Amino acid sequence: MDFKGIHDRLRAIQAPGLLGADEPREADPEVEGDKGRAGDPFVLVDPQAMPSFLECCRADSVLSFEMVIDQTATDPGTDEDHFWVNIQLLSLAHKHRLAVKAILPKSDPVMPTSALVHKTCRWHERECAEMFGITFEGHPDPRNILLPDDWDGNPLRKDYEYPEEYHGISCK
Amino acid sequence: MSASGEREVMLDVRTQDMELNMGPQHPATHGVMRILCRVDGELVTGAQPHLGYLHRCAEKIGENVEWLQYLPYTDRYDYLAAMNNNLGYSMAVESVMGIEIPRRAQMLRTICAELNRIGSHLIAFGTYGLDLGAITPFLYAFREREWMMALFEKICGARLTYSYIRIGGVFNDAPPGWLSEVERFCDVFDEKWKEYVDLLMLNQIFIKRTANVGVIPAKMAIDYGLTGPLLRGSGVNWDLRQDIPYELYAEIVKDGAFSIPLGSGEHGTLGDCWDRFYVRVMEMRESVKIVRWCLDNIKPGPIIAEIPKVLRVPAGEAYVGIENPRGELGHYVVSDGGKVAIRCRVRGPSFVNLAVLEEVMVGVLLGDAVAIIGSTDIVVGETDR
Repeated sequence: MDFKGIHDRLRAIQAPGLLGADEPREADPEVEGDKGRAGDPFVLVDPQAMPSFLECCRADSVLSFEMVIDQTATDPGTDEDHFWVNIQLLSLAHKHRLAVKAILPKSDPVMPTSALVHKTCRWHERECAEMFGITFEGHPDPRNILLPDDWDGNPLRKDYEYPEEYHGISCK
Repeated sequence: MSASGEREVMLDVRTQDMELNMGPQHPATHGVMRILCRVDGELVTGAQPHLGYLHRCAEKIGENVEWLQYLPYTDRYDYLAAMNNNLGYSMAVESVMGIEIPRRAQMLRTICAELNRIGSHLIAFGTYGLDLGAITPFLYAFREREWMMALFEKICGARLTYSYIRIGGVFNDAPPGWLSEVERFCDVFDEKWKEYVDLLMLNQIFIKRTANVGVIPAKMAIDYGLTGPLLRGSGVNWDLRQDIPYELYAEIVKDGAFSIPLGSGEHGTLGDCWDRFYVRVMEMRESVKIVRWCLDNIKPGPIIAEIPKVLRVPAGEAYVGIENPRGELGHYVVSDGGKVAIRCRVRGPSFVNLAVLEEVMVGVLLGDAVAIIGSTDIVVGETDR
């Protein structure tokens, strides 16, 4: 199924938290500084409804997104006031993909965990949490995964300051 | 000793839970990784992988260097399949740029990616034998791998970290005689491959060590997002080359040039260590078939699309997943139209596949735990990135 078909189906079954879709478009010459957008389309989802959205996508037989193939976050820039949480869904039965994006305010980056819906989200969310400082409420094992437990800051944030040293080891 | 006396001795032997660190330096962890096992005697009652010893924050580097400059970093996460990593990253950037790749470049890309898959599976084959105490197969595997690396050296000058596949195509055409040498490699490899089957795959001791061990049912595999030989070993017919084909694979599948080996529980239970190993060994031969298809169809032509020296990628984002030897390698790239990426996410298959150990390693003997870790075929450079 193509993106339009998937989006129509999501609307038809009233998938929880579905906010809209974003598709690639040409730059509009009328609007100054408009660059357009290339690449893949994605759907926008309310972060607070993410677990039920994923559950609904898996349960629907037309969509049947059994697998969360990737989950990550993005800091779009220091002058932006939000993070994106990106999830890539994959359906083995119907051989289609869907990119999902949730917009989360930087001032309060808290969203419910999806780890109870898809076990693969356990490690992905641990990585997002340490790299961006996002809190996944209800996560069964919220430890750091790649960074040491006592690491300061969230390295993939755009405003991250590189440490001078770590336990006496120079980081310069 | 009488039966009752024996029982008294058994009652006297008490075990208690003990925490045992496997790694960070342990031959079976294939790199620098630590698995904290809770053991009761020989029985593993809990396992917790600790990662990050090789963490270099490749994704942060991706946000600080230019698009083309990031390519050599991709070589270094799954260093056994660097060609495939180059391909995955290049395809993600090309997907945002929307450029067409010349056909000869696609052919060369496919040949190199499949040869690299053979090389990577040879390491998986050899080191798995090592983990289980069979040293000879490892040496046999390196014999063919050496030739494969020599082939890569001829086409791009490097033996391990190639950076051969570039955004837009490949950077160097095949030197004279290279393609016929690849053909000779295929002929020889097909013969040598039979030795691997006899030497290890159908070896009775090996089967006893791996059959019925570390069973991953299909449902669990999907829940954990496993891909590659781990998923196919559990009997799920899923290969991106066949199911969501990229580059030339749609044509190759249409011609029926290769098939997808699946685990069947032939010697034990579906989804056990032997099935995963079987899938890898069979895949090597399928890769040879793909290389042969390319050799039959390759024609002269340009090898790289016209792209500027300093690449500017239009504003946008794309996720592209390709079938790496270890599973789906995904790149999620975001651009704002500038010279560097806003986000350069790498979905490493080893990282995702490793998570299943927490569940599969519970309730097995410590000796089998080594067999299970080996059967996941992780590359720690990729789990930690």
